[in-house]
Amino acid sequence: MSYAEDHQWSQHHLSHYVEGDLTPRARRRLDRHARDCVDCGRGLRAMRALVRAVHGLDALAGVRAPATIFDRVRSAGAGGSPAPRNA
Amino acid sequence: MPPSRGGRSLGPAAGDAVTETILLARAQAGDVGAFEQLSGAYADRLFMLLLRLLGDPDEAGEVAQEVMLRAWRGITRFQGRSSYFTWLYRIAVNEANRALAKRDRGPANVSIGPQELELPASPADDPARQAENNELRLALTGALAGLAPPLRTAIVLRDVEGFSTQEAAEIAGISQAAFKSRLHQARLQVRAAIGDDALATAGA
Repeated sequence: MSYAEDHQWSQHHLSHYVEGDLTPRARRRLDRHARDCVDCGRGLRAMRALVRAVHGLDALAGVRAPATIFDRVRSAGAGGSPAPRNA
Repeated sequence: MPPSRGGRSLGPAAGDAVTETILLARAQAGDVGAFEQLSGAYADRLFMLLLRLLGDPDEAGEVAQEVMLRAWRGITRFQGRSSYFTWLYRIAVNEANRALAKRDRGPANVSIGPQELELPASPADDPARQAENNELRLALTGALAGLAPPLRTAIVLRDVEGFSTQEAAEIAGISQAAFKSRLHQARLQVRAAIGDDALATAGA
């Protein structure tokens, strides 16, 4: 494999690497390339930071469901009760 | 079992699993109060999921009502092959997709902002760091909103909500291989939208 081929392949597999989706052999290929390639080393750090940051979006969500969330269920009333199990 | 990653749990504590089973049985027998108690435990997270997928608080509220109605009407068909929250989330993703299809395009006018997200300030962070983090969070929210709906669903379920690949694929109603493909595409697109410099700062 040429450096350019390794580079292109590595750039497209950074997320697979972070996700643990690469075979040991493929992982070694990316490791080897990233050691020599500033762009891919940086890309790998960026991808890890991205996953961490996106995961962190959840923790800041102090959002509450609107109080109306069961309104349609209540409006359905007895007529809208669940169908019998064998229906 | 509720999913957990990094100590996060979406469902009831283990000790409440029995309560959930009892509530489920009552709800399936037609007890609407039991249904509300059972599903209410997931209401906030479900609404947040819809907000992220749809980008509009009013629409997310409307769709959340429809999700609960569909869950109520279909609860006797729930046979426990997946956990209750997975089943409920699958209905939510289906309804969000239906709403997006009606729109005929993605959420061009995303209105999730700092107020909706109630961005908290960590006491450990200095003001400059807080501002940087908030800027990154808003940029990420915008980048997620700019994704095609199938890609957005994948990254929200896996990376924001923290579901395992298996659970997330089940909720999205696709194979794990297809789900992973969408997830990787989504991450590449978000990375391109945010830029490595901003991410490097976040990772520092």
